[in-house]
Amino acid sequence: MDNVRLLTSLVLLSTIILSPGRNGSAAAADQCLACHQSLGERPSSLFKHDVHFEKGISCADCHGGNPKAAEMEKAMDTTAGFLKVPKGDAISRTCARCHADSARMKDFGSSLPTNQWALLQRSVHGGLATSGAEHIAQCTSCHGAHGIFPKTNPRSSVYPLNVVKTCTGCHANAALMRTYNPSLAVDQLEKYRTSVHGMRNAKGDIKTAECASCHGSHGILPPTDVNSRVYRANIPNTCAGCHSNAAYMKGYNIPTDQAERFERSVHGVALLQKGDPGAPSCNSCHGNHGAVPPGVESISNVCGTCHALNAELFSSSPHKKAFDEQHLPECETCHENHEIKPATAAMLGGAEDAVCSQCHSPSDASGAYHSAVVMRSMVDSLKSGEDSARALVNEAEQRGMEVGDAKFKLRSVRQAWLESRTVVHSFDVNRFQKVADQGLAAALEVRREAGDAIGEYYYRRIGLGIATLILTVLAVALYLYIRRLERKPHPTSGPGRPPG
Amino acid sequence: MKTLSHRIYDWADERLHLQELVTFMEKKSVPRHRGSIWYYFGGVTLFLFIIQIVTGILLLLYYKGGEQLAFESIQFIMSKVAFGWLIRSIHSWAANLFILSALVHMFSVFFERAYRKPRELTWLSGMMMLFIGFGFGFSGYLLPWNELAFFATKVGTDIAGIIPVVGKPIMVFLRGGDDVTGATLTRFFGFHVAVFPGLFTILLTIHLIFVQRQGMSEPARFEETAPKERTTMPFFPNFMLRDLLLWLIVLNVLAILAVFFPWELGVKADPFASAPAGIRPEWYFLFMFQTLKYLPASLGVIDGEVFGILVFAIGGLLWLLVPFWDRSTVRGRRSRMITYVGLAVIAYIIVFTILGWTT
Repeated sequence: MDNVRLLTSLVLLSTIILSPGRNGSAAAADQCLACHQSLGERPSSLFKHDVHFEKGISCADCHGGNPKAAEMEKAMDTTAGFLKVPKGDAISRTCARCHADSARMKDFGSSLPTNQWALLQRSVHGGLATSGAEHIAQCTSCHGAHGIFPKTNPRSSVYPLNVVKTCTGCHANAALMRTYNPSLAVDQLEKYRTSVHGMRNAKGDIKTAECASCHGSHGILPPTDVNSRVYRANIPNTCAGCHSNAAYMKGYNIPTDQAERFERSVHGVALLQKGDPGAPSCNSCHGNHGAVPPGVESISNVCGTCHALNAELFSSSPHKKAFDEQHLPECETCHENHEIKPATAAMLGGAEDAVCSQCHSPSDASGAYHSAVVMRSMVDSLKSGEDSARALVNEAEQRGMEVGDAKFKLRSVRQAWLESRTVVHSFDVNRFQKVADQGLAAALEVRREAGDAIGEYYYRRIGLGIATLILTVLAVALYLYIRRLERKPHPTSGPGRPPG
Repeated sequence: MKTLSHRIYDWADERLHLQELVTFMEKKSVPRHRGSIWYYFGGVTLFLFIIQIVTGILLLLYYKGGEQLAFESIQFIMSKVAFGWLIRSIHSWAANLFILSALVHMFSVFFERAYRKPRELTWLSGMMMLFIGFGFGFSGYLLPWNELAFFATKVGTDIAGIIPVVGKPIMVFLRGGDDVTGATLTRFFGFHVAVFPGLFTILLTIHLIFVQRQGMSEPARFEETAPKERTTMPFFPNFMLRDLLLWLIVLNVLAILAVFFPWELGVKADPFASAPAGIRPEWYFLFMFQTLKYLPASLGVIDGEVFGILVFAIGGLLWLLVPFWDRSTVRGRRSRMITYVGLAVIAYIIVFTILGWTT
């Protein structure tokens, strides 16, 4: 035992003498580091390069104990405050002793935020681990323990080029992830490597998005949380953080007005103004982890994930071949991409502002121009038929008539109108006419029923007028009869006759 | 040469001895005084009851009870059945006018002290008919199975459930279970078209027999008038024709109300939906409903609502038994207290009904 003590003392002494630490006096006095380093332990050698070591923080600042004591028993005496290796939440609490204290952080000359621990606790990683004894993630889960570097340092586990590896350490581990969320995908890394972001990141571009760029770092929330950066309605803003920043995007040669245009689009209005949770966001078309701009040939597939019938009809239409031959993006050619306007009847037909007339002219031998004009006139008839039927139903309803049936049938007109907007993608006049005719017939039926109800309204008033007249005449006649009757003396009426 | 009508009368008289009835009716007379107008409200109430019976039977031809059918059948009556809208509207309006007319009749009898000896039983039978009338209204309100009726019935039966000891069994009996469901609708339908009409008809017969046997009540001031100055009119044809005149006017008013203010159907009841705003019972229950709303949750040893219900129950009982405790009238004196009580009750009902309607 004495030999061990002697050896330890000699090693410590030599370490103190020979140690060239940046914080000479502090390091020289740190018996913990000297001893553990001499034993060749990896944590101590890592710590020598750690940002904390550079700031003069000793082993004892995290682990407790007496760094000045040369003897191991005294240095690591738990009764004197030695904490051993912190476990579970004690790890993060240890970090938070400084990192959640702005005054202490200032003393170290740091301008880092001090809310990381609070954010982490509220984040999805702040949930209870399967062990039930601690939070899912601790500070060290991402930052490491003894080899922590500033995030701008390429050696840091949270350096932009390393973040993906750090996150997927858990997120690509199917066995581990299953214990928390069996439905959560574990192929994010594979997808990411196929994305523009991932490919650039792999080439060393630290400006392209990695996990933390979109999900955040300490305060990561699930995508279903309205406060999450990747909640559907927040995604345009998250993407715009880089993609709308012209200075940041300089050099990539892509536009920076997508978010602005998306906000004005029918999708953007539905998602951001009307709060429609089913409306698409950036990732609905571009993908999320595997984000790429859809190619010309795949646009109809992308749009078709939601607009399935339109895409199917378009694929079997004469336009499909023509567009392919001319390398025209399918849906985008007529509808635009980011700034998709509501599809109105004005898009159809031969007018100057109609999209059909951008390619077709009256002299077209295919008759396509004529078809467009015919379909436009049918849409207009359907719309005016619906409007007039609705106006009549409203009028009848305002007059207090029961028009529940007509109102229900009005839905068929609307349905036909909606269907016509889909069928138009077949660019087949006969098929379109079939749908339009159904709607027009329904509109006619509704108009007839509503008209009957209005007729019934007037009939009731006339009937009431006649009934009131008859009753009034009867009442007046009766009144006059009573008066005449009471003018004549009656044997049982008058004074003096006992009643009953 | 006898006219055709005389010949028909003679033919019937020969077989049915109608002359006796005519003589009885000719001899029967009605006192004339400044309060004579109130005599007509009994007849108006009867007329409205007859309308209810006739329109109710017509509605029964198409009405289908049951959670899934009730609302739709009324919708069908209002939109598809010839004059169905008119019949339903008249039934709904006449129901309200019936209660109004019955209340006017009851208060006129109260203020004229017509309940005094020997007409105590006439008063009792009339009051019971009024209570059944309320029952008619409460049960009929649910039959269209619309949202407003559903929740009003829920609230109404909830209130019944508050009564100590017997409240819960009464509530379960009324609802046909713990909640307002299709079973409640079936039950209320049964009350509305079978139980109440049966009881009402028996009471009405008794009431009319009493009136015929005892004649029209005369106010005390009429009795104090010298016999020479007392005037009367024959029941037949004078009073009856005046009754008929009023009935014609009421029918006219009903027709106008039914056409210009058709009774709305609202939206179908959805037991899983939350209660819509503005749930309130029919107007004649509103003063009680409003009172219960104003009462604090607890009044020391007793629950606020229980206290309210007990007060109304005791008040109703005292009102019902007024012929037996109003000793002044029996002794031939005109009790001012009765007038003040009556006026206070009317003022209370009017004020709380208005408050219930406007708040």
